[in-house]
Amino acid sequence: MSDTQWETYEVFHQSRRGKPHEHVGSVHAPDPQMALQMARDQFARRLECVSLWVVRSKDITQTDYQDPNFFARSFDKSYRDPKAFDAPEKE
Amino acid sequence: MSNDSLISYLTALADDEFILGHRDSEWTGYAPILEEDIAFSNIAQDEIGHALALYELAQSLGGKHPDAMGFERPWKEFACSRFVTYPKGDFAYTVVRQYLYDAAEQVRMKAHAASAFVPLRNLSEKILAEEAYHLMHSKGLVERLGNATEESHRRMQAAVDTAFPQALGLFEPVQGTEKLVEAGVARPESELMHAWLEAVVPTLESSGLQSPVRIKGSTYELSCKPGYGGRVGNHTEHLEQIVADLQHVYKMAPGGNW
Repeated sequence: MSDTQWETYEVFHQSRRGKPHEHVGSVHAPDPQMALQMARDQFARRLECVSLWVVRSKDITQTDYQDPNFFARSFDKSYRDPKAFDAPEKE
Repeated sequence: MSNDSLISYLTALADDEFILGHRDSEWTGYAPILEEDIAFSNIAQDEIGHALALYELAQSLGGKHPDAMGFERPWKEFACSRFVTYPKGDFAYTVVRQYLYDAAEQVRMKAHAASAFVPLRNLSEKILAEEAYHLMHSKGLVERLGNATEESHRRMQAAVDTAFPQALGLFEPVQGTEKLVEAGVARPESELMHAWLEAVVPTLESSGLQSPVRIKGSTYELSCKPGYGGRVGNHTEHLEQIVADLQHVYKMAPGGNW
């Protein structure tokens, strides 16, 4: 089915300065500036927010779920796991 | 200056916000784009919130309780402009009306920044903070839709032709305003209208839309008749319909608590 709406933008939300921007969803918009406004209405009205990013969905290059070997761990590589220390949450 | 003229002035502004807020809420579930559905629902809540704050300010001067103003008052006693009472029309009309209204509200609230009545000055500053984003939204849509396609241009121009003369009714003087102007509480409506024309006419023009006015330096020439009447209670059946609609539930149990 073809989409009759505007193109989509992925929305990234930052709750506090210094924290990472986290993906919270997507919006339809005709251009990036309007996408920021739409994102504000939908994701910053109730959640605390200091910054938003929007990225055209089609500008994101992603891995293929049909290619599980891309992430395969066939050999024991547990020595690579960062389990010998705790990384504190960044303030 | 008596409190009465200030109460009348605040009531007229609150009525504009209250009725337009309800008209905007009529898009909830029906807007052509999901995001615009949410945006207009959000704006509707904001405008009704502004109405509440203005009714409360009028109440502090001896006016009635906001519930009585919004839900018990007969429609003929509303002092809103006719402009805000008309049905929501197509999305182009809604966008143009919202833009013309947001621009007018911004001009008025900015003028209140120098008001001798401090509570009005403070409230206007708060309203302005929210209104800036309404204006960014509606202006953004006007600029994009005015020139986008042949159909969007045609529908936006038709909306301007209808809405522009109606919008001039926002500057129909409320009875007693001249006393408020003398006391430094409010600015003359003619001055606000001029500032509004200087803001909206160039924006419409750069969006490819013609308005029925020509600005010549410090004067202007209107080639349309302003839609007056609302400020003196001379309304159309559209207000009767929307007031009946929005008072319906309240009147089932007057004074009830939810």
